[in-house]
Amino acid sequence: MADVKFIVRTADQTRKAEVEMDRTSIGSDIIQAAVDNWALPADTDYALVNVTTGKSLVPMQLLDENFVKPGDVLEVQPVLVAGGW
Amino acid sequence: MIPNDRYQRHSLIDWFSQDDVRGARIGVVGAGAVGNEVLKCLALLGVGALDIFDLDRVEVHNLTRSVLFRESDIGRNKAECAAERVRELDPSIAVTAHVGDFFRVLDFDRLQDYAAIICCVDNFEARIRLNLICKLWRVNFINTGVDSRNAVVDTFPFALNPEAGCYECALPPSVYQRLSQRYSCGGLKRIAFVEKRIPTTVITASLAGSLAASRALRLGPGAPDQNAGRIFVDSITGSSTRTELPQRADCPVCSQLKAPVRIARVDRLQAALENLADAEVTLPEPLILSFKCKSCGRGDGHDTPLFWRASDHDSRLTDCAGCGAEGAVDIEIKDRIPAQTLALIGDRPLPLPFVATGSETGTRVFVLRWES
Ligand SMILES: [Zn+2]
Repeated sequence: MADVKFIVRTADQTRKAEVEMDRTSIGSDIIQAAVDNWALPADTDYALVNVTTGKSLVPMQLLDENFVKPGDVLEVQPVLVAGGW
Repeated sequence: MIPNDRYQRHSLIDWFSQDDVRGARIGVVGAGAVGNEVLKCLALLGVGALDIFDLDRVEVHNLTRSVLFRESDIGRNKAECAAERVRELDPSIAVTAHVGDFFRVLDFDRLQDYAAIICCVDNFEARIRLNLICKLWRVNFINTGVDSRNAVVDTFPFALNPEAGCYECALPPSVYQRLSQRYSCGGLKRIAFVEKRIPTTVITASLAGSLAASRALRLGPGAPDQNAGRIFVDSITGSSTRTELPQRADCPVCSQLKAPVRIARVDRLQAALENLADAEVTLPEPLILSFKCKSCGRGDGHDTPLFWRASDHDSRLTDCAGCGAEGAVDIEIKDRIPAQTLALIGDRPLPLPFVATGSETGTRVFVLRWES
């Protein structure tokens, strides 16, 4: 399957990279790559959103044309669990 | 003071309906840092009724993030204390404190009175349970979360759109892996597990609180957005994103418990289960069905399941009370069981407020009379 080129960044926007991935990759692959390459805290959970389209990508979502177009910006956001403490 | 003048400034805002705000009953689960900010906003806005749920007591370190608490409140229940302060802010609000785990003290007959339930807790398990309840009862659900930098507010407009994505649709698999680490192999809470706690400040709590209050009051009929969505705000840069949270085909809630949902109160669960044959029943909390020691064979529940609430026990249950062998006891814990197995409850009370069973054509919820 064809590759797609898009931008991945962290929620604080201090990390940003253009990446090229196979369209058979899934959302979790992008999160894992971001955690590994940018040494993001491993004890946090992350979600992926396509900020260009305003849609979140569910973990097993394939990076097909309906969800990621060339040049889209995908943001890796921490899943926030605190609130009451 | 002339009470009618209280909301005079609101009346100058052309899109603000004090009557709509006054007509809303909101449930606030968790009266900690975010809960305080939600309650402050809703109280000052003049909401009609507030139900506050919390089981914790005020501690000294809460005071840096809790506008409703004072030093003299240390040791008091958070829900009661917050309710008292809300009454001081606006005595015309009908505010009720519910002390205890919301799951045990929620009035399931009145759930649909809520314009929204706002979740201000600090753990995944409570969010997952509250999401399930709101999804089944079609109550608008607002989830909040914070860390030291960011705030998130998720809106699940279940009353408007039963097909909206739910909290578990948006939950990455790593969360379930993390949750399972907290439990021993049998699914019991590990006695020695130290949970990581995330420090926060009032900055992110107030961002989450005000956004959650705003979202909760904008979900009436004709609300422009009927899909689930997430607002994520970075308190340092001020940047925010707003994303739609779609329904996920393999969501453990949405794939099992489809709309339409029929809710019935039952006196005898066994009778209600009779025509369900081999249908799988979803339990809102895992139950212990049986246990057996690998070493000495001591066990129980194999003929008639025990139906003990797993949350009432911890990993010490895996140490055999008969022969003393540590970790030798196999425990059968389930959160989904066949209807025939559940029917073995007979006339014993089930320690759960409800059970649900779903099929392709819809979901049935049986609300039980139970003693918490
Ligand atoms: Zn779902």
